[in-house]
Amino acid sequence: MNAATLVLGGVEAASPDIHLKIGTLTRQLHDTLQQLGLTEKLQGTVQELPDVKSRLSYISRLTGEAAERVLNRVDQAKIQHEQITSKTRRVSTLLAEDPDSTVTHGHLINYLNDMEKSSQLVDQHLTDIMMAQDFHDLTGQVIGRVVNLASTIEQQLVELLIQTAPLGAALKPSVEKKETGLAGPVIDKENPEGVMINQSQVDDLLASLGF
Amino acid sequence: MANELRFLVVDDLSTMRRIIRNLLKEIGFVEADEAEDGVVALQKLRSSTFDFVVSDINMPNMNGFQLLTEIKKDEKLKHLPVLMVTAEARKEDIVRAAQQGAAGYIVKPFTKATLEDKLTLVLKKAGLQP
Repeated sequence: MNAATLVLGGVEAASPDIHLKIGTLTRQLHDTLQQLGLTEKLQGTVQELPDVKSRLSYISRLTGEAAERVLNRVDQAKIQHEQITSKTRRVSTLLAEDPDSTVTHGHLINYLNDMEKSSQLVDQHLTDIMMAQDFHDLTGQVIGRVVNLASTIEQQLVELLIQTAPLGAALKPSVEKKETGLAGPVIDKENPEGVMINQSQVDDLLASLGF
Repeated sequence: MANELRFLVVDDLSTMRRIIRNLLKEIGFVEADEAEDGVVALQKLRSSTFDFVVSDINMPNMNGFQLLTEIKKDEKLKHLPVLMVTAEARKEDIVRAAQQGAAGYIVKPFTKATLEDKLTLVLKKAGLQP
């Protein structure tokens, strides 16, 4: 270990020079963001990122559980179905060989009782498979929130690009692209000035800045 | 339980409307219609006769709370029991629904047994079932 590094609580500290540089850089970034009026907005976004991670994990877990639930129920329903097939085949054979004996020995009534029970079980499995589809509703809502946050981050980055653009990189007038009608942008007239209101403007802006 | 009561299922997601309708059918309620938001629901409630409503909360155009308010403001509809079935599990939402006159509140995901239990309570309370 040289004189420039110290170990404090297991964490190796940087040299005073590096620490000073990082500190200066942080201060500059902080001041710049504050001058641009973006500190609060970006802070809000950064705070939401762990939430996004947990939301995505939630989607992953929920879809995985739904798939497992459906497959398990299908397996159980198939077992029931195989039993129905095999018992039907057996009773058919018995009836063909000796119809009277099949009835008098109770094979037929037992078969009918078994069929009723099996049908009820299969119905329960089908209901559960249907209920497993509710993940679509829950994950849809979560995805909607994540998409909103991604859109906010994009908007803030565009704002940052506009406000930090060098003098020489004056923005070209926005040229409206011909809409294909497949996915037209939604124009939010309530957006404040300096915020792109459609994808065409965003593309033009990025192109004028060399991105 | 077999029943001729007529219900309206309100949810913006067709999957959920189908699930709830199928469950209600299994429970014994076969007379059903559905709406994708509060606006459509109000139109249907005002132009036809229903005995109870099962509604989501988070919907476009008119959400479940707004629909509940409109139902309770309407002299001809205010008697209708409204069962909220929603992913909104915050205490404030549940309290709000109750204060606005919701007859019951089910949080998604739910089971058939939960729906049947709540529905039985709601219908008994409303005098629609013995």
